[in-house]
Amino acid sequence: MSLLSVRNVHKHFGGLHALRGVSLDLEEGETVAIIGPNGAGKTTLFNLISCEDSPDEGEIWLDGRRIDGLPPHLAAARGLARTFQNGRVFGNLTVLENVLLGAHTRLRGLTDPGTRPAGAVFSALREIVLGIVQPRRFRELEAELTAEALEILSIFGDRLIPRFHQPAYSLSYANRRRTELARALALRPRVLLLDEPTAGMNPTETDEMTEVILKLQRQGQSMLLIEHKLEMVMAVAHRVVALDAGEVLVSGPPEQVRSDPRLIEAYVGKTADTAPAGAAAAGGTRFGASAALTAEV
Amino acid sequence: MLDQWINGLVIGNLYMLTAIGITQIYGVAGVVNFAHGSIYMFGAYIGWMAITWWGWPLLPAITLVLAGSALLGLLLERVAVRPFARQGSTILLLTTIAAGLILDNAAQVIWGPQTQALRNPLPHWHFRLGNSTVTLLDLFILACGVGTALLLHLFLYRSRAGWAVRATAQDREAALQMGIDAGRVSRLSFALAGAFAGLSGLLVGLYFSNIYPMMGASATLKGTTAALLGGLGNVPGAILGAYVLGIVEAFSVEWLGASYRNLVAVVLLIAVLLLKPRGLLAPRRALNPEPTAGTFIPHGRPLRFPRWAAPAAAAAAFALPLALANPYPLQVLAIGWAFALMAVSLNLISGTTGQISLGHAGFVTLGAYASAIFTSRLDLPFAASLVISPVIAAAIGVLLCYPALRLRGQYLAIATLGLGEAISLIALNWDAVTLGPLGISNIRPPDFFGYELVSPAAQYLLALAILLAGVWIVHRLGRSHLGRALRAVREDEVAARAFGVGLSRYKSIAFGVSAFLAALAGVLLAHSYSYIAPDTFTFALSIQVLTMMILGGRDNIAGAVLGAVLLIALPESIRFLGEYRFILYGLLLIVMLRFRPYGLLNART
Amino acid sequence: MAIKRGPASRIRPAVLSALALMLLLAACGKSSVALTAQGGTGASSPPAATEPVLIGVTGPLTGDNAEYGKQWRKGFDLALEEINGDGGIDGRPLEYVFEDTQSDPKQTPAVAQKFVANPKIVAVIGDFSSPASMAASPIYQRSGLVQLGITNSHPEFTSTGDYIWSNTSNQKDDAPYLAQLAVSRLGKKRLAVLYLNTDWGKTTVDLFIGKAKELGAEIVAQEAYLSNEKDFRPILTKALDAKPDALILISYYNDGALIAQQRQSVGFDETVTVVGIGSIYSPQFIRLGGEAAEGVYTSTRFYPGDPRPEVRSFVEKYREKYGEDPDTFAAVAYDGIKILARVMREYGTERKAIRDGLEAVRDLDTVLYGKASFGPDRRLENPHFVNLIVQNGKFELWQP
Repeated sequence: MSLLSVRNVHKHFGGLHALRGVSLDLEEGETVAIIGPNGAGKTTLFNLISCEDSPDEGEIWLDGRRIDGLPPHLAAARGLARTFQNGRVFGNLTVLENVLLGAHTRLRGLTDPGTRPAGAVFSALREIVLGIVQPRRFRELEAELTAEALEILSIFGDRLIPRFHQPAYSLSYANRRRTELARALALRPRVLLLDEPTAGMNPTETDEMTEVILKLQRQGQSMLLIEHKLEMVMAVAHRVVALDAGEVLVSGPPEQVRSDPRLIEAYVGKTADTAPAGAAAAGGTRFGASAALTAEV
Repeated sequence: MLDQWINGLVIGNLYMLTAIGITQIYGVAGVVNFAHGSIYMFGAYIGWMAITWWGWPLLPAITLVLAGSALLGLLLERVAVRPFARQGSTILLLTTIAAGLILDNAAQVIWGPQTQALRNPLPHWHFRLGNSTVTLLDLFILACGVGTALLLHLFLYRSRAGWAVRATAQDREAALQMGIDAGRVSRLSFALAGAFAGLSGLLVGLYFSNIYPMMGASATLKGTTAALLGGLGNVPGAILGAYVLGIVEAFSVEWLGASYRNLVAVVLLIAVLLLKPRGLLAPRRALNPEPTAGTFIPHGRPLRFPRWAAPAAAAAAFALPLALANPYPLQVLAIGWAFALMAVSLNLISGTTGQISLGHAGFVTLGAYASAIFTSRLDLPFAASLVISPVIAAAIGVLLCYPALRLRGQYLAIATLGLGEAISLIALNWDAVTLGPLGISNIRPPDFFGYELVSPAAQYLLALAILLAGVWIVHRLGRSHLGRALRAVREDEVAARAFGVGLSRYKSIAFGVSAFLAALAGVLLAHSYSYIAPDTFTFALSIQVLTMMILGGRDNIAGAVLGAVLLIALPESIRFLGEYRFILYGLLLIVMLRFRPYGLLNART
Repeated sequence: MAIKRGPASRIRPAVLSALALMLLLAACGKSSVALTAQGGTGASSPPAATEPVLIGVTGPLTGDNAEYGKQWRKGFDLALEEINGDGGIDGRPLEYVFEDTQSDPKQTPAVAQKFVANPKIVAVIGDFSSPASMAASPIYQRSGLVQLGITNSHPEFTSTGDYIWSNTSNQKDDAPYLAQLAVSRLGKKRLAVLYLNTDWGKTTVDLFIGKAKELGAEIVAQEAYLSNEKDFRPILTKALDAKPDALILISYYNDGALIAQQRQSVGFDETVTVVGIGSIYSPQFIRLGGEAAEGVYTSTRFYPGDPRPEVRSFVEKYREKYGEDPDTFAAVAYDGIKILARVMREYGTERKAIRDGLEAVRDLDTVLYGKASFGPDRRLENPHFVNLIVQNGKFELWQP
């Protein structure tokens, strides 16, 4: 039984058939990379897995339970954490507060909404009272989470630790993305979804992030990531799934996928003659992607 | 029922004019301009002077009105919008409110408060349709409305300047980079909006044959409703929305009675917001677009005070009655504390959780009525009512708000406005429980175990004690995980819910606690005033409380208290200015915001 | 302007807010200091022989109801001219201080405390609307300062206590008289009634309908409208459908004028008579209603052509001073001051004396009521009515 199982999902947006029968599995401890040209449906797929949106057909299973159709906050409670393509930190909150928010679902028993409306009301009231009164065991829990948050931040060396009381909007772009990742880790996710974690980073920052992801891998974190930078994909992924026009084009170990002609065609264009010109013109908007591909080709 | 259809179309005709103006300025500047009604009114007065004092015929008068109102729009832009353009739309809400206040009071000072007659200079040509008469003026108004919509369309879609306007509305930063002078675009938009507003004012004044300084208020409300029905920014939608509103109102009078007219309009508004938030004519959208990276509104950070400051201030406040024998400042501050409680509670929704609420008076009304009914008609002791009334009021409040909580931003704001009005209208019409317009009188003063709190000092201390309890609750919540969750909702709803913060749940929590505290303030006031009626706590109150909160600084409890006390004490202390009082008040508000753009007790970094 | 870090940044905001607080207290305290310097809130030394007697007035000078406050002042000023020209109160001039409350219940209690704390103020007139007036009544009652309401007709207004008085009539009298005009005198049997949905409108309409039915008329339509309503077409259409022979307006002059104007375009013609309650009586009704006001009937307690000497004198002086005819609001304000003046002359100028005087005084000469006294409910009794019709752009006396 896979940890995460996407079975034959379809998604339509008006007339556009964005995902056509996509299936994919993630095993415990695995890192799977999803690649493909822009418009292939990668972020849409992520949105379905994280329950931002729900599939029109098909199912998504996590830990042996169905999650498609759940609201996003319940999916989070089941152990799904994600980062976003544009880096969505909470600007006016400090780095520490951002990370602590990641642990929100772990204030278990406290923030459970319950299933019936009456249960929801009582649990909300209880949460309010606890927020006002803050009994000792509650404060101890907060202290534990804070210590843990600092530990998570240490994964980035001294990039964020000295800044943990600064508001997130004052951070550099790269630090904001790191904060976002730390926040996701605070949830102790069963599956971590990373949407272009190195987008907009320079080569040094990209290398650092790659190291971080490898570290997480060694700790046994199961991850699904969208990436355009193929070097990074090669370095971290156990398997690669390539999407194009809403379908799975090819799937398998990175070496195998990289040299698959169908993939090259999808990125670069149909005939070999136009390949060099195509490499510059077609493909993604990512300078890195085109460069990486031309290097291979 | 031909006659009611015609009635609906005729009044819809009028709504259309203001709706087009409001929707256009919203579409372009992203601002709900609260001074719109004031320019509308000034336009009417300019036209009135031209026609009645100087005897001008209609078309030259209209030209003068267009020019004058456009100038007023430019003035508004220069004084109340441009200096604050970077602070986000909440501050602009406030500055336009202040500007409107100044203009309304200036008009009263210049021309006097009484209603003025405005005779229709058009020939008295008319034709009959069923029992009804349609006049030349009605047709002229229709022509003006449709004409301005067409001209606007041509301008926006066929001219370079119009293209620049649309580009700036979509993305100001990108437009700047393309070499568009965003400042000039802004000026142009406000001039246009001003001109339309002024023209509408004149035409409506002609239709009713009278004008008066406060005529802008209801026009803005109806115009905004019509604009929302059609989708903000959508001009054909505004036209459709206006006629739909007119017809719905005419038939609700027919079937339910004139008192229900506004209530039905409000219910329609809320229904549209919930079902088709982008308006009746909007295409279906897939998903909300992602915000571009780096866009967010800074709140400023609260000023740091030494730890002894708050307890010292509280102690000083408690000691005040000992130092002051004069009951007048004690009375002013007693009311100030009640308003501080309202401001602190609104701050929880708007400052901490980031949901703009324009219907806060509704919660106050619920609490006031609950306690009045419990103590006067059911004979409950005050102490019991003090606890039970806010609970009941909060429960009702949350229940009413719950469906609207999934709305975003300005749509939620409008829905809350509608709910506040609805509560007031229900209080007016539900005679059996609330005694309708008669209100509930002879409400007993607060008493504990037989001891009545009637002296100004006693009422002051009671209000202060309750305020401090409320402040403590909100402070504790703010420091807890709950505060963190609420702020996450404010900062980024999508990210918040991706980490387990269920939006409806946490917004309900914020609204619930806030409603509880606001209702508590309502209980205090009901027992202090001894008489409440449906119009005791109005929309104007909601705006006043919002002003206090923003002035003090968002997400800043001390700021909310300070803002409330200042804005209650300020008009009292400048009483000697008589009629000019509120002009100075509006100016001071704008000046304070200019120097402390994040609020009095918030600062950059 | 960046705020520097460090200990200085902590002190500065603290200083700022301390300053603000001091300013605030100073502003409020200014009045208190000034007042307490003059003898405190309780017993004071007897005033000098020429020191003015002060009446406090609370009412709307700005805001939605400002025009009524303005009318009040005209009445007050005229009355004061007369009184002070006639020796004032035992040689002391009578004056008033008008605090603007915008008829807002949030502001009236504060002003009430201000007046209570000022020993020079011996009686208070105000406020305009019932919520505003009644929010302050408990304060006046507790502190023993007379509150004379001149335009609030809420039935419970005077019930707060024995310091709360009113020289407006209870609708007990106005409404039935109007019913008599419409049904008995004008012979109308099918009445469509439009009324303002306020405490005043509601109590009045209930009394009107009770009497009208008693006299044998049928109420074919009864519609309440909100006070800020401007568009009356739908409600008029509904009334027209009921085929009335009279349109009864329980309105003020602004809304009354609008209704009169809009009725023609909805299909009403001259066969349906319009009869309005006395509060439509005002030159404004004609000014705003224009031609549509022709043929409208009303009954009022006060009419400029009334031959009674007190009315003649009031109207002439008003016309001379202001160049227009007075309306009910100016008249009731004039009466209010004159009533207080008479009580002060006969019973003294201390607060309690004024209260006792109001109870004891008999046969006040009022413009609105003729000779009247306060009843046990602390309202004036014995109102006097005339029937009027609008003809040729003026209100004329109507006698069948």
